[in-house]
Amino acid sequence: MASARRLAGILLALLGLLLLAAIAGLASGPSGLELREVANALLGRADGAAADIVLRIRLPRVALAAMVGGSLSVAGVLFQALLRNPLADPFVLGISGGAALGGILVLAFGSALGVAQSAVPLAAFAGALAATVLLFGITGFGGRVSTTGLLLTGVVFNAFASAAIVFIASLAGLAEGASIFLWLIGNLSAGDLRMAGWVAALLAGGLACAIPLARGLNLLALGEEQASQLGVDVERHKRILLLATSLMVGAAVAVSGLVGFVGLIIPHLLRLLFGPDHRLLVPASALGGAAFLVLCDTAARTLLPGRELPVGAITALVGGPLFLFLLRRHHRSVYAPG
Amino acid sequence: MGSRIRRCRLVLLLLSAAGLLVLPAGRPTTAVAAEPASQRIVSLNPSLTAILVALGVSDRLVGVDVLSHRQNPQLVALPTVGGLYNPSIEAVVSAKPDLVVFVPSAEQREFQARLSDLGVRVEAFDPLRFEDVLASIERLGRLAGAEERARERTARIRAVRASIERAVAGQPVPRTVLVLQRDPLFVVGGGNFIDEMLASVGAANVAAGWSEPYPRVSLEWLVAQAPEVILDSSRDTAPPERYWARFASLPAVVNGRIVRLPAGAATLPGPALDEALRLLARSVHGEARSTNGEARSINGQARRVPGEGARRVHATRPAEISAGPTGAGPTP
Repeated sequence: MASARRLAGILLALLGLLLLAAIAGLASGPSGLELREVANALLGRADGAAADIVLRIRLPRVALAAMVGGSLSVAGVLFQALLRNPLADPFVLGISGGAALGGILVLAFGSALGVAQSAVPLAAFAGALAATVLLFGITGFGGRVSTTGLLLTGVVFNAFASAAIVFIASLAGLAEGASIFLWLIGNLSAGDLRMAGWVAALLAGGLACAIPLARGLNLLALGEEQASQLGVDVERHKRILLLATSLMVGAAVAVSGLVGFVGLIIPHLLRLLFGPDHRLLVPASALGGAAFLVLCDTAARTLLPGRELPVGAITALVGGPLFLFLLRRHHRSVYAPG
Repeated sequence: MGSRIRRCRLVLLLLSAAGLLVLPAGRPTTAVAAEPASQRIVSLNPSLTAILVALGVSDRLVGVDVLSHRQNPQLVALPTVGGLYNPSIEAVVSAKPDLVVFVPSAEQREFQARLSDLGVRVEAFDPLRFEDVLASIERLGRLAGAEERARERTARIRAVRASIERAVAGQPVPRTVLVLQRDPLFVVGGGNFIDEMLASVGAANVAAGWSEPYPRVSLEWLVAQAPEVILDSSRDTAPPERYWARFASLPAVVNGRIVRLPAGAATLPGPALDEALRLLARSVHGEARSTNGEARSINGQARRVPGEGARRVHATRPAEISAGPTGAGPTP
């Protein structure tokens, strides 16, 4: 089958891109290790500073960037399909607002309350779960889930959360203020392999839910009514995917803060390049988002030697123009009617 | 090392002399000597508040910012006039101050202009370098009518600094980093009073080359610097020796030279730089036999397998380094 071969080819190419990005990420950094030293460290044949730098600083970051980028992109593609809204991004339903609120509470008041900063991801994930429960509680998870209701709840909850965050930040001291600011832009500097593992588990769960339902997602583009006439159990699709996506977003935001743009732009970019079939788009977003964020984080670590830029700023700076360029070139074929 | 500091001082002296020549012409109001002391002071910065408290004029304070309030329990009865970023102009004015002192951040600069428009006298301080902090203490002393005590305080700080510099002369100078915050990682860079204090206590600040006073650096950069001593002043409650132990290649980890500094004890440009200098000296040069449990080498390894340098320091520990806090001033 031609389409199966095309799918495999595209996914293999994206996997290759991800590998190249990972190699670039592992090979570059402010301490100027040589490739040979990096390879030795990866093979466990080095110790001392090279091992610390490659295995305990670069590798966890590359892994975390890949998992977060993959999760956010898959979440973006799923939300765009489920909500039938091209503006949907992983943060649109307010899950991120809940996570940010949880994380920032610990950032701002943790040291006063004797809670270690390492509790930030846990608190953020708890916040994401609370926001998910609230979202489904309000929109009626048992019966029919209204798309408009979901969107409105998300927008209002996000507005509430950002107001609460501004309130908290204005109470916090200087050091806490800097942490909060960086967290809101998105920051992978705390990366460790255990965190990457958690995000990977939820990403795998999300993909396991989404890939079998990808055909249904394609039909959902015709409208909910039409899709159900064609035999798609729309409500079941929505419930499963919303829950899986919310968990994925919660985990990604919990470990990295609000890395913007990846979840909005990568799905659209892949749609422009490869068309709107979700059987391809979902796994392609996982790989493409991972590669993109690994590259952006590598840039964030290396553009200014010895210094860290917040990765969230890079994603938007690089992603925005790239996206507009592609939009101009391919606009007609995918988005124009007819 | 000593000559570098002396040169710094000379430059600072020259600069301040130049300032004296310029300032009276530019700002005719700075006729300091003739002025009566302020009776009602609002402080918008915790370090300035701590200086006023240490000078024994806390009864002249009629309002402070939220952080000052939090850090000085004896000010509990005072009204707060807002945070560092968002002081309330109405609260300041209603305290009827005859002097408002502050450190201009972006937010507070605007504030200064508005208060001046309302006819309130505002004095700005920018205690970045060591001499700036001492100058702040003396200027606040003049403004608050505690000139004598302020001069005593700065003389004491200078004396302690000189005696520590003598004591550590000829001792090994460990590569040191002072971590202000772990994630995001902020450290003490160059050109600020903490960097100068590190130099005085015989520590080579690995981040001294940064032009920013408190740069955000990458973890990889720090690990590549291979610091021999990590002074961790972050507010994170997780024990620093466990946090840094991940990087087994760090000499500081290998030799167990990771020291937690109580947040703010060595990093506030306040009245107790002498205590800060002693704390830094103890922390940099090994576990101190002091009553202050905080500034002790945490990992017992250092005692069992001391590095060559460490042993020399222990054998010849100067009295100034091992002396405990004298209570000469409150630790902010």
